[in-house]
Amino acid sequence: MVWDAIIAAYLFLAGVGAGSFAFAALAGWRAPEARKVKMAGMVIGLVAVALGTVMLIFDAKAGFQDPLKFLLLLSNFGSVMTWGVVILSVFLVVAFVEILLYWRTGKTPRALDWVGIVLALCVATYTGVLLGVCPSYPLWNLPLLPILFVVSATATGFAAAELAGYALDRAGLEKAELPAVVGIALPVVEMAVAAVLLLVTANAGGVSAAAGAATVAGLVGGAWAPAFWGLFIVVGLAAPLAIALAARARKQGASALSALGWACVLIGGFTLRYLVVLAAVPIVAY
Amino acid sequence: MSDIRLGMLIDLSRCVGCNACAVACKQENGVPLGKFNTWIESWDVVDGSGRVRRANLPRLCNHCTDAPCVDVCPTGASFHAEDGTVQIDPDKCIGCKYCMAACPYSMRWCDDETGIVGKCTFCHTRTANGMDPACVNTCISSARIFGDLNDPDSEIAKRVAAGGDEVLLAELNLRPHVSYRGLEETQAMEAASAKHKGGNVYEPYEGR
Repeated sequence: MVWDAIIAAYLFLAGVGAGSFAFAALAGWRAPEARKVKMAGMVIGLVAVALGTVMLIFDAKAGFQDPLKFLLLLSNFGSVMTWGVVILSVFLVVAFVEILLYWRTGKTPRALDWVGIVLALCVATYTGVLLGVCPSYPLWNLPLLPILFVVSATATGFAAAELAGYALDRAGLEKAELPAVVGIALPVVEMAVAAVLLLVTANAGGVSAAAGAATVAGLVGGAWAPAFWGLFIVVGLAAPLAIALAARARKQGASALSALGWACVLIGGFTLRYLVVLAAVPIVAY
Repeated sequence: MSDIRLGMLIDLSRCVGCNACAVACKQENGVPLGKFNTWIESWDVVDGSGRVRRANLPRLCNHCTDAPCVDVCPTGASFHAEDGTVQIDPDKCIGCKYCMAACPYSMRWCDDETGIVGKCTFCHTRTANGMDPACVNTCISSARIFGDLNDPDSEIAKRVAAGGDEVLLAELNLRPHVSYRGLEETQAMEAASAKHKGGNVYEPYEGR
């Protein structure tokens, strides 16, 4: 495999950061008094994306050993990675400015919140497009993979921000929390998109047929099956869904059980990136 | 773009799978241990008459006209050279491995020490001085024919003009500069063994 767990971790962190920042902006609009919740979400957004970017730099060994080479990163605007460099950089600057403004003035301009949300969406989308443009891996499907990554980024980012909010300011989180239906819809939509992606991959035609079938076979019944079913489907999607449904039935707010559900979402989100990077089988040239 | 368009035509009916090309390439280019710019995939096939024989498929960078590796390279390290080949400028490569992920032929490798990506250059240092690539020179059965596809008097141009050459993964329409003779015929024969890459099992045999 070309890439490994470092890149999987980067893709995960970029998604967490994007989703967490978006949650913070929404939380700030819903409940301006829940200051710790908003600040925590924004800080997670900045730190997660920054940490992911550092991992990217670390993984690019030839650049890491000769950092001036990274200046060349803006030389091919046809490369999705170049778009990524621009998107990540602008996101980090905007997130930093938002945090600074919130810290110094106690509020953030609504327009800049929107800019941050749009950039967060760009970060999450680009991580999928980055892989999607490679013709070598049938699993890395355009446009399904970016859609799956955006849904997962939303779920994992919201979960990270909610976890932090729960730990720091439970009352604030109660006020800022999104409607319960969000926690139910996200795993359902993610499951549906993942199912469509696997169906399309398994039934890929032509030169992609063998690799597509082998990828799906490896995930659902091969060496990757324990991680796929156990960590991605059961822990990452089914458990959070069950917890969200139970909380809604009991008309209950954030509880220790909800926190467990959010932790499960994060485990599932990392497993998804790990499997997408490592379980994808390349097409073979004969 | 200049008028030169370097290319290689490999006649599979002539390749005996001796791996001399792989050895000559290693020596010429100092390719690191465990990495290869070219290799031969070998496996047993049952031919039309019911006899088992050996199929050999030499592999190398296809020097695509529409190269995904060049498209995705964020630093411009992978580029199309004047002679139509795809080259890597090691001074620009950051080792992000995006080109390796994008190459549908899986022909690129990353140096474990430097992190810089490498691949077949068509022996750029040799071709720039009027010589053939090392694999072509050393081939014992002249299975590899190399030259300027744009020169109608070159052997490769004549062979290509005569028709019958095929490319790997033609469906992707990347217009590679490496083509084969007898590819479809070889691929159509029933496999009767594992596939080997330089003596190592590359794809296990699942028949019987």
